Parts: sequence; structure tokens; C-alpha cells
Amino acid sequence: MTAVEAQIVTNTQEPEDQAATRGRVLVLIDGSRMSYAALEAAADIAGKRGADILGVFVEELNLVRSAGYGFSREVGSASGISRPFDPGILEQRMRRLADHARAALAGAVKRRGGKAALSVARGHVIEEVLALAGPDDLLVLGRAGWSSTAGARLGSTAQGLIRQSPGQVLLWCEQKLPYPNRVVVFLNDHDGANHRAALTAAEISRHYHQPVTIILGTDGEPTASRLDAIRQDLDVLGAGTRLRVMPDTDPITVARTLREERASRLVISRECALFTAPGAEQLLAALSLPITITP
Amino acid sequence: MTLPSPLTPEQVYRRCPIDQLDFETTDSLEDLELPCGQERMLRALEFGASMKADGFNLFVLGPAGAGKHELVERFLANYTERQPVPSDWCHVHNFEFPDRPRALRLAAGEGRQFKKDMNDLAAELRTAIPATFESEEYQARLQELQEEMTKRQHQGLFEIQKEANANNIAMITTPAGFTFAPMRNGEVVDPEDYKKFSDEEKALVESKIEELQKKLQQTIQQFPRLGKEARERIHALNEEMVQLTLGGPIGELREKWRHNPAVVDYLDAIREDVVEHAEAFQDGENGPPSGLLARYKVNLLVDNAETTGAPVIYEDLPNHQHLAGQIEHRARQGTLYTDFTLIKGGSVHRANGGYLIIDAGRILGQPMAWESLKRILFSGEIRIESLERLYGLASTISLQPEPIPVSVKVVLLGDRMLYYLLAHYDPDFLDLFKVEADFEDDLNRDDDSYGLYARMIATMARQLKCRPLSREAVARLIEQASRLAADQRKLTAHDRALRDLISEADHWADRAGIVAIEADHMQQAIDEREFRASRIRDRSREQITRGIVMIATEGETVGQVNGLSVLRLGASMFGQPTRITATARPGKAQVVDIEREAKLGGPIHSKAVMILSRFLASQYAGDGELSLSASLAFEQSYGGVEGDSASVAETCVLLSAISRLPLRQSIAVTGSMNQHGEVQAVGGVNEKIEGFFDTCREAGKVHGQGVILPASNVEHLMLNQAVRKAITDGDFSIYPVSQINQAIEILTGMEAGEPDENGEFPEASFNRVVANRLSRFAEVSKKPEDGEGGSDSSGGADRD
Repeated sequence: MTAVEAQIVTNTQEPEDQAATRGRVLVLIDGSRMSYAALEAAADIAGKRGADILGVFVEELNLVRSAGYGFSREVGSASGISRPFDPGILEQRMRRLADHARAALAGAVKRRGGKAALSVARGHVIEEVLALAGPDDLLVLGRAGWSSTAGARLGSTAQGLIRQSPGQVLLWCEQKLPYPNRVVVFLNDHDGANHRAALTAAEISRHYHQPVTIILGTDGEPTASRLDAIRQDLDVLGAGTRLRVMPDTDPITVARTLREERASRLVISRECALFTAPGAEQLLAALSLPITITP
Repeated sequence: MTLPSPLTPEQVYRRCPIDQLDFETTDSLEDLELPCGQERMLRALEFGASMKADGFNLFVLGPAGAGKHELVERFLANYTERQPVPSDWCHVHNFEFPDRPRALRLAAGEGRQFKKDMNDLAAELRTAIPATFESEEYQARLQELQEEMTKRQHQGLFEIQKEANANNIAMITTPAGFTFAPMRNGEVVDPEDYKKFSDEEKALVESKIEELQKKLQQTIQQFPRLGKEARERIHALNEEMVQLTLGGPIGELREKWRHNPAVVDYLDAIREDVVEHAEAFQDGENGPPSGLLARYKVNLLVDNAETTGAPVIYEDLPNHQHLAGQIEHRARQGTLYTDFTLIKGGSVHRANGGYLIIDAGRILGQPMAWESLKRILFSGEIRIESLERLYGLASTISLQPEPIPVSVKVVLLGDRMLYYLLAHYDPDFLDLFKVEADFEDDLNRDDDSYGLYARMIATMARQLKCRPLSREAVARLIEQASRLAADQRKLTAHDRALRDLISEADHWADRAGIVAIEADHMQQAIDEREFRASRIRDRSREQITRGIVMIATEGETVGQVNGLSVLRLGASMFGQPTRITATARPGKAQVVDIEREAKLGGPIHSKAVMILSRFLASQYAGDGELSLSASLAFEQSYGGVEGDSASVAETCVLLSAISRLPLRQSIAVTGSMNQHGEVQAVGGVNEKIEGFFDTCREAGKVHGQGVILPASNVEHLMLNQAVRKAITDGDFSIYPVSQINQAIEILTGMEAGEPDENGEFPEASFNRVVANRLSRFAEVSKKPEDGEGGSDSSGGADRD
């Protein structure tokens, strides 16, 4: 069901960064405010990496189907008013959203350079995205789509993609902090994952000129070899890097530590023990800052 | 009748006894703090300044240049030193009614401290409150609150979703809301497949969906209420945090200012205001809006931190705004706006608790200023209102600052005319200005006063930064002060006249390169002043010399005499002779005053002519009938004639016309007369005598001329050097007379003659001739054929 449209913008400027070869930036656009914010962030990253950007607009099959019933009605998320809901209205809406997404994508790329394309597909969002995303691709998406208006802090799509995506996922969230910030990278006992997370943090730190704090979650005293590995990563992370060892990794303590560190971004590996801890999803939902999940 | 002797040089000029001046120069004299001879005025000032009751404000009366302002200021400066310093006043924002700024009273000097405290508080609020909002504690509590509210919202939706899923129904999020559809294996059933459902199944699904929709509707419609509740709880949290933050600084200030309950109230109002506007302080980056913090400023209207004693304020431009204060506006992008910091106090604010000196003439010349001052004094409070509002010209919203209670003593300075006019025409005036402090124009000249007067001159010279005056110069100035007072027994108190003379004498001493002012310089200053003002006088004299204006200073003429008049031009005056002529013939008893007929004579002059005609009738007609048609005229007088100082001269010239006896033209006459022929004092005698003397001198040689003047005027004489010399040489005489007959005898050289018990005058006396002529007139009048057509008996006719 996927149809990738032709390249819509070409910037003649040659990408400077070597990382250009590393893969594309995929951004999930559903027409919600949060998804447009994610698009801006994705375009920014693509511009900095010199990567191509691929917008993904999925017409959710369940939604299309639900409009096909004669008795379908739509209950407004703000007013609670119930109105008839039919395929004609939905198709029209989808088209408009896709057009809007296309224009937004073109606008974002035009400002920052690079190549962009929009993929419009009908199906299940997670499936469609996984079909497009490769292990080198960065997937950018808003923390919640339309459901955010109803109070959801972390949408079901986001939850699914965090777990299933083959590459990095950036869970975007708009924020305004009045103070100079730090990139916080959360490490655990998986060395490979730690290294990947540290590299990603180093890249973000370089792009946004923000120092890095490493939080090392461990049950006891960290071993000497682990500390050596981390120190090697510290060289990558550059000056101003801070290391904090946190014996207790329950979500509330983590949230407090992040506030103390004045975190602007969180980098965390999918392998991290934090993900397996109970209440981890609530933690992700509660943190109002962009989170990068590395493989 | 014995003729009066001519006056001696000593009688016409009172010298200053040099031995009374016990100093070389005025340098050795001490300053005189208060002027001498003004005891009445000083007592009035003392009383008015210390009298506490309402309405006892002062009006200091005196001529312009009398030194009222300087004296009052000096007096009050001494007087107020011992009085307490009044309070400071400031305006602060009124949080309850923003258009009515509050007024706070603070002890003297506390205003500055209060202003600084409030500025410090504002600065602290600017940083401390945003810091509170950034604090871990606040952020955590805020997040807890938000999470709880989100959870409550979410919970509702989640439960509906759970119920839907349990019934195999999917709740799908759409861009605009939610919809429900039948579900199988976690996927929405294809509508085509749904058609294959049995009717029962369909009915079940659809009724369930309808039920879920209703529930969802209800849940979503709860959201605004939940949102409102959340906002309220966040606001309550903000208030709580701000209260805690404010506790310290406001608590300290409350403790510091607890002696002033109004300030404590104000601090409490600030706390409530900050709490109310807690959200406005949340912006840590830009800080709270400056307009918000500006409201915590203090507008220090009256600052008495550096005042010693009660204030004495002189308002030199006493208009409404300068007196009562004003509310200024700032222009921003073409719009005028104001706030309580733009309220400016007036001089009444500054003088509150002390004294305000105002020039009465100036305040009356300013629109509404007098009314405003009266209103302040009546009400005992200052209400700042703009002039356009008072006139009802502006209807825009402006501030109405809380009125400030005022206790001020107003000292008005003005001339006497103004005082009497105000007292007559303004019914409020005497209620408000009960103390009249009247300046003396003159001081007594006696042996005690010389020393004090010399010290006063010494003080003036020092104040004017002039050279010291030698003893002789002071003596000359004292003599001139008597001349200015036109009285041998008085000295002028006119401050400006004396100061000007000292300054000018100093100038001439400077030109001469001498270190002290000598009598010569004083004389030069007097002469130069006179010379500068003498253009008109010289033109007038020239006309007499050239015969254009006819004045005879020699010989004898019937029906013609030299009267004396005084002209005042600006600050100077001079005298000159005027020819007065008369005609007489039989007729109805009347004396025609030609000046009055031509409407050139004033009422006093007319009165004097009436008096003299009644004198004629009673003196010469006795019980018989008076038949006289006479006329009197001031020759070559084209301006008006006023005053009665020519009545002696008019009587003499009329009697000459009746009797056809000539009068000596070398004697000029001044003096007024009553119905009994007694001669009364007149004004300007010095100028009149000097004027006639100069005329005689310019007409040729002064020899044998003189002036007749009332004997009661002798002590007013302070004649100049030239006249005194002529008197010493016997060339010029001044005759003091007390009876008209004395004047007649001097002018005619004949005995006037007193009537005997039958009313008959002695033979060959002047009055006998007059009486005879009048009885002839009476006889002529009785003959009808002669009637009115009789011959005129003016000068030059036959003598009896």
C-alpha cells in the first residue's frame, strides 16, 4: 500500500557532514500539531546531518473502515458533540491533511536544505513505518498524535514504534526551558548499547552545543572495567561532561535527577533496564523533553 | 495784625546732627536684624505666625519696594527655626481603587527611607518570585497537580475504551475526536464483512455503540469543569508559594514600619496584590511586567529630610498648578497617560506645617489661583485637580489622589489698596486673612532713631555689597530720608528708595576710586537721579522762561496771582507756578469756577471754591445782600485741576479783582483755607517752593521773591541747598501764614483790617475796600435798569 512520492525539493548545497551516508530521517506526519513540531525537528536534524528526509503519512486503516458504517458518528474531542461520520468526509479530510503535510515538508526542507519526499500509505501505521524504516534511519515522531488533545501523553503508535523500530527513534516534544541545558544520557549494563547511546549523545551535544551528563544506573559499585569503557566514551563526549552514578533507577528518582540536571534531552538505549522497570512508560509520558531511543 | 517773619535757613531744613553718629564708617556698625520703627508690623507678624486658630493668615500691607518680602522671609526664618519639622507625604498606588492614589503621612525624613524600602522590595520581588516558581518544590507540585488532572481526564476515556474493547468495539481517534466501530481480533471489521452480521448482532453492536457515544459525550463535556478545577488548584498553589516567598521581606518591612499603621496596611495590600498577580511573576526570562512592579513605587511628594524647622516657601509664580500641584501626563505614541507617580506636589504641599509667602497681586492675576487657595484654606486639605477639570473642559478619566490634610499659614504681600479692595469685595477675605501687618511708610526722626537708622543703612550697604558709608554720607542720607518722607520729623521707611541711593552712591564712589561712600557721592546720586527725571520739568520751565506760559515774578497786578502746583511723573515730582486770575462784577451771588465749568476741575477743587465763596459772603456782606458775579481760572492749564491747595491764592486773587487792588507777583501762594479764613496745610510744599524758586532764577535774578505757605507746613520743609542759600542771603523768603489776612497783607502791602463790633472794617484797610466795592455791587444790582449789564471789574480798572 506504500507509495513514495517523487522527490519534492532538492537543495543544490552539498552536504558537508560525512554522516550523510548513514541513512535517512523518517518523520511521521499525521497532521497533528505535535507531528508538525516533529517535522521541524526532523528537518533540523536532517539539515545538520546532510541526510535525506522522508515524510510518512499513513491513512490508518481502522479509521478508514470505521467511517464506512452507516451509523458511524464522531464525538468531538473538545466539545463532546456527536456528528455523523462518513467516508466522504474522511477522504476529504485525509486529502487535506496530506496536502498540508506535503506543503509543510517542502517548507521545512526549503529553509534548511536537503532532499525530501513524502510517502503516503494506507494501512496500519506501525506496519507501514516499519516497512519503510531501516536500521540506519532515524525515526522522528511526536509523543502523541491526535489523542494528545484528549490527554494522552504517549500515544499507542509511539509506544509501539519505540519498541519495534530497528533504528533510532526520536520522540519529539516541544519545550521551553529558561536556563542553559544539558543532554542527559542514561546508561545501563549493556556495553554495546551504552556505546551507541554515548555516540548519539555526542552528536546531539555537538549539534546543540550542550554539555552531556551521563547517568549510570547500577545496583552496586560500578566495576573498574565498566568505568574505563565509560571514560573512553567520555572522551567522545568532550569537555564539560558530568558523570553521575545512580544506584536507584526507579522512575521517580530518574525524573527528579533529570530535573536537577536541567535536562533538555534524554538519550536512552532500548536495551536499558529502565525500559523494563515497572512504570517506565509512565516515566516517558511524564518527561516533557525530547527523548532519543537508540538500539 | 502782626505779619509773620520769613523763615530762617534752619527752619526750612533740619540737618542731621553729626555728633549723634558715633562712628567713622558704617563698617563699624552691627547689622540690624529687623528694621527699626516697624514695631506694629513686627508684632502683627509675631502674632500671626504663632496664632494657631483657623483663618489667622497674614496680609502684609505696604507700598511696592518697601522690602516686605525680604523682611517677612527674614522674620519667618528666625521664627521657624525653633518649630518642629513637619511630616513627609507620599502617594502610593491604591490597589482597591486604582484611580484614587492613597496618601501616606510619614515622619520627616522617613519618606526617603520608605521609598528606598519599596524600591528594594520591588527588586526583590522581581527575582525572588520567579525563583520560587522555578524551584524544585514548585515544579514538582505543579507537575503532580497536572498529572493528577490529566489522569482524571484520561481515566474517563480509558474506562470507555475498556468498556468498548470488552464489547468488541474499537474506539478510534480521529483528527477531530473519536468514533466507535465493531472490532474483531484487534482490528476494525470491514464494513463489507459487517453486512454479513445477523440483524441481532448488528442491533446489539449499534445499541452498544450508541451507549458508548453517549458516555463519551458526557465524559468529554466534563473536561472544561476539570480544566477549571485544575486552573483553580494551580492558582491556589501559586498563591501559596508567593505567600511563603513574600513572608520574609514583607514581614521585615512590617516590623520596621509597625509604628505607622497606614504603611502596614499598604504593605498588606501589596502582599495581596502580588498573590493575586502571582502568574504574572512566573516568566523567569523577562521577569514580571514592569507596569506591575511600577505600582509598588512610592511617589515622595514632600520630602522634609533636609528641612530644619518649619518650612518657609515663597511661591513666585502662584498659579493654580504651582499652588495645589498637578497631575502630569506622559506622551507615548500619541497617547497621553498618567499614573500616581506623575502626581506633582505644589507649594502648599511643601509649605504644609509651615509658611507660604505669596504676592497678592500675582495670585489674583492667575486664573482660579485665588479661588484654589481659598478652597484649600477653608477645607484644610489639598485636592489636586487640573485646571481643565475645574473649568469642566476635560471629561477624560484621570486620577483623583486622596486629599492631603494641610495646615499652612499663608502670608500675602500686597499694597494697601489691594488689601482694602479685597476686604471690601471678597466676603471670604477677612475670614481667611484676619491678621493685617501694616508697614509704616515713615519712622520717627528723633535722637534715638539716628543710631538705629544708621545701622539699618549699614546693613543695607553690606547686603548690597557696597562700600561702607562715611559718617557724613549717612548724615546726608538721613536728611534725604526726611526729604523723601516730606517731613522734618520723619524718616522714610521705603526700602527700595534707600537701597537705590546707596547703590548709586557706591557707583559714583567707585568711579571716583574711593574706598568709602562720602557725602559728595550721596549728593551726586541724589542730583543724578533728579537730573535723569528732569526732562519734562525742564521743558515746562523753558516754556515759562520763553514767555509761552505767562508767569510774572515781578511787579504788581490786579486779579492775578501765582499759585503753585505739583506734578508727579513716575517716581519723581516737581512743582511749578500757575497763574490764577479772577474777575468780579455785580450779579447774583455766585463765583464761577471756570475749571469746573469746563469740566477740568476735580470735586475737591470745586469744594474749595464753594468754601471761599461762602467765606466772602460771611466776611464782607454781613447781614446785607451779596451781589457778586465772579470767575476764577487757572490760566494756560490744559490738564485737570484738583485739590484745595490753591484756595488761599484764589481767595486773594478774587479779593484783588473785587477791590481792584494789585497783588505782588513776586510772591507765590499755596495753602488751603476754611470758611473762617484759617489757612490749612497742603502737600508737596518742598517741590512747590523749589519749583517757584527755579522759575524765578531762570527768569532773571532772584531778589525779593518768596512763597506764602501754611504755617502748619513749616515742619514739612526740607529744601534744597540753592533755596537755602538764597534765604540766607535774604534774596528769597518763605512766609508761614495761619490766617488769610496775613497772606493779603504780604501780597498787597496793605493792612487787611479786622471788623469792629458793627462789622465795619477800619478805614484804608484792604478789607474795607473790598466791603465797599461789594456794597456798590449790591446797590447796582438793585437798579433794574442796570441789571446784569454792568461793566466788568477785572484787573486794570479804576481803583476806589
